[in-house]
Amino acid sequence: MSVTNISHRKQNIVKGNVYLPQIAVISKIIEETPSIRTIHFNFKDEKLQKKFTFDSGQFAELSVFGVGEATFCISSSPTRNGHLECAINMVGLVTNALHRLGVGAEIGFRGPYGNSFPLDIMRGKNLVFVGGGIGLAPLRSIIWNTLDNKNQYGKINIIYGARSPSDLCFKYELDSWRRDASINLVTTVDKGDKDWKGREGFVPAVLEQVAPSAKNAVAIVCGPPIMIRFTFPVLEKLGFKPDQIITTLEKRMKCGIGKCGRCNIGNLYVCRDGPVFSYAQIKNFISDEY
Amino acid sequence: MTTNKINKEDTLKLLKEWSREFTVFVPSKDNGVAAMVEWDGKDIGFLDWYRNTTIPAKSSFLPPMEEMFSFQNNGDGYQLKLSPDQHKRIIFGIRPCDARALSIIDKVFTESYEDPFYVSKRENTVLIGLSCTNPYDSCFCTSLEVKPTESADVDLMFTDTGDKFIIEEITDKGKDLLALTGVVKKATKADVAKATVVKASISKMVTRKIDTKNISKKLQASFGDKDYWMKVAAKCISCGICTLLCPTCCCFDICDELSKKQGARYRRWDSCGFSNYTQMPMENPREEKWRRVRQKVCHKFEFYPMNSEVIACTGCGRCIRLCPVNWDITEVLASMPAEQLTKK
Repeated sequence: MSVTNISHRKQNIVKGNVYLPQIAVISKIIEETPSIRTIHFNFKDEKLQKKFTFDSGQFAELSVFGVGEATFCISSSPTRNGHLECAINMVGLVTNALHRLGVGAEIGFRGPYGNSFPLDIMRGKNLVFVGGGIGLAPLRSIIWNTLDNKNQYGKINIIYGARSPSDLCFKYELDSWRRDASINLVTTVDKGDKDWKGREGFVPAVLEQVAPSAKNAVAIVCGPPIMIRFTFPVLEKLGFKPDQIITTLEKRMKCGIGKCGRCNIGNLYVCRDGPVFSYAQIKNFISDEY
Repeated sequence: MTTNKINKEDTLKLLKEWSREFTVFVPSKDNGVAAMVEWDGKDIGFLDWYRNTTIPAKSSFLPPMEEMFSFQNNGDGYQLKLSPDQHKRIIFGIRPCDARALSIIDKVFTESYEDPFYVSKRENTVLIGLSCTNPYDSCFCTSLEVKPTESADVDLMFTDTGDKFIIEEITDKGKDLLALTGVVKKATKADVAKATVVKASISKMVTRKIDTKNISKKLQASFGDKDYWMKVAAKCISCGICTLLCPTCCCFDICDELSKKQGARYRRWDSCGFSNYTQMPMENPREEKWRRVRQKVCHKFEFYPMNSEVIACTGCGRCIRLCPVNWDITEVLASMPAEQLTKK
């Protein structure tokens, strides 16, 4: 098994105005945490809505006209058609503007861009999902993707943490995953409150306690960079080889299509060569700027 | 392809004939900064002042600010409107280094996703090169396989031999352009011989050098040497001028402008020299200045060659002569730790 060469880079050339977004309409808003909301949206063009496809792990450029564009992973699963979802953390100009919009508002959408989680490598394996904070958003797409084809995968472990119980995203789905006997879900927060029934502690430490087996397994990690950096050594300690560990990296992006320049790590561009990388690939990065 | 000539005083006639069908751009310092500017029909005075433009010709293909589309919402949803197509243009007088730079960055704009704005400008523009007559002492093009008097990256190549320009046809596009005019004549053997002498003397004038042998590997070996990069970056003031005015730097930002119910999405030049270029909500991979300087150097001489097998520098020397603190890429490369190792 090797994920050192996760396929990437489009072979065919896309032409036309590649910077022109599609218009999408917000159909539903779910307030996840005090600063994170999930928006559901559909393309205004119904034909496009029907033929649009993407893979779990890909991202898009969402825009509020007059404010600007920003990069978001698609947090819904391609196995569930009908609409797309993105989780928006209120951290800058565009995300603040997206938090001010209501149902029915029009936004711009460019994408899907980037590579995706390597389903072919994950099939037949036990899966260990490790997420932190809004890092559950890209994992959620691949989690639903695998849950909707459960017979193709082995045991599913999900270790998910946030700063506090109110900072956990997708609480409504955590409950359903907890009830599912085929999923081992462990939630943790840095500091719980009186109603908190999960664990307390940082994600890497809790991962070490849960100690999922590395045998015939793939770990998929997503969270803040600091969590990712501390999770890799724990997984290695548990016996995971670098090419059994997959993550998705975040960088400031503008174009999403390998032109504007800023998302590089050495000679690689996260938008074009990623955002999904194996730890084996990351270990070979020229640069430590990730 | 044949070699032609034109008397210098006929150049204006030539430009006038071309301007019937093309928008002609010529080197000009009328706006205070030397750049390629739309020709106003006035005498360009044989360009005696012209060594190179301060703003490289890339700005005719990737303008400092460019509208990508406009949008309007009159209450019934957003209407997006595309910017108009590019008209036919001639850029007269581009130097070989700046023409090579365009050939180098073409890959960025054509790979995977074709950039419609850049590509349509490239397709609709005829490049007319002009041999250098007086290179700057900051120029080091000959180290990067650019000759100040030869170019395969233009459509026609002009060389000043005193009272006339010798014109070499490089592409069919250039040949077709010459067919439009009656003021160009076939060059004689003596004309060609004179041009050869002129060219040889100019090439010798470029004395500054860099050693490009194994440069990508040497930088890779020096990449982790923080002390070296801190030293190299010490005097940099992060003004970004070495990147903004670099003919191969083509990074951009995307931003919106809005007034009432209508607005537009633009792109504009950006620079890896600025810390907000990579700023993310929680962290910034290149907050420290030495990392940004390292990125600039390594992108050109290490990463770009790794990805595209060509160094993203043409030795135009702008980053040396325009730097407000006399930062010098040729000194930086010569003092690389790996360079020192090989000398020992």
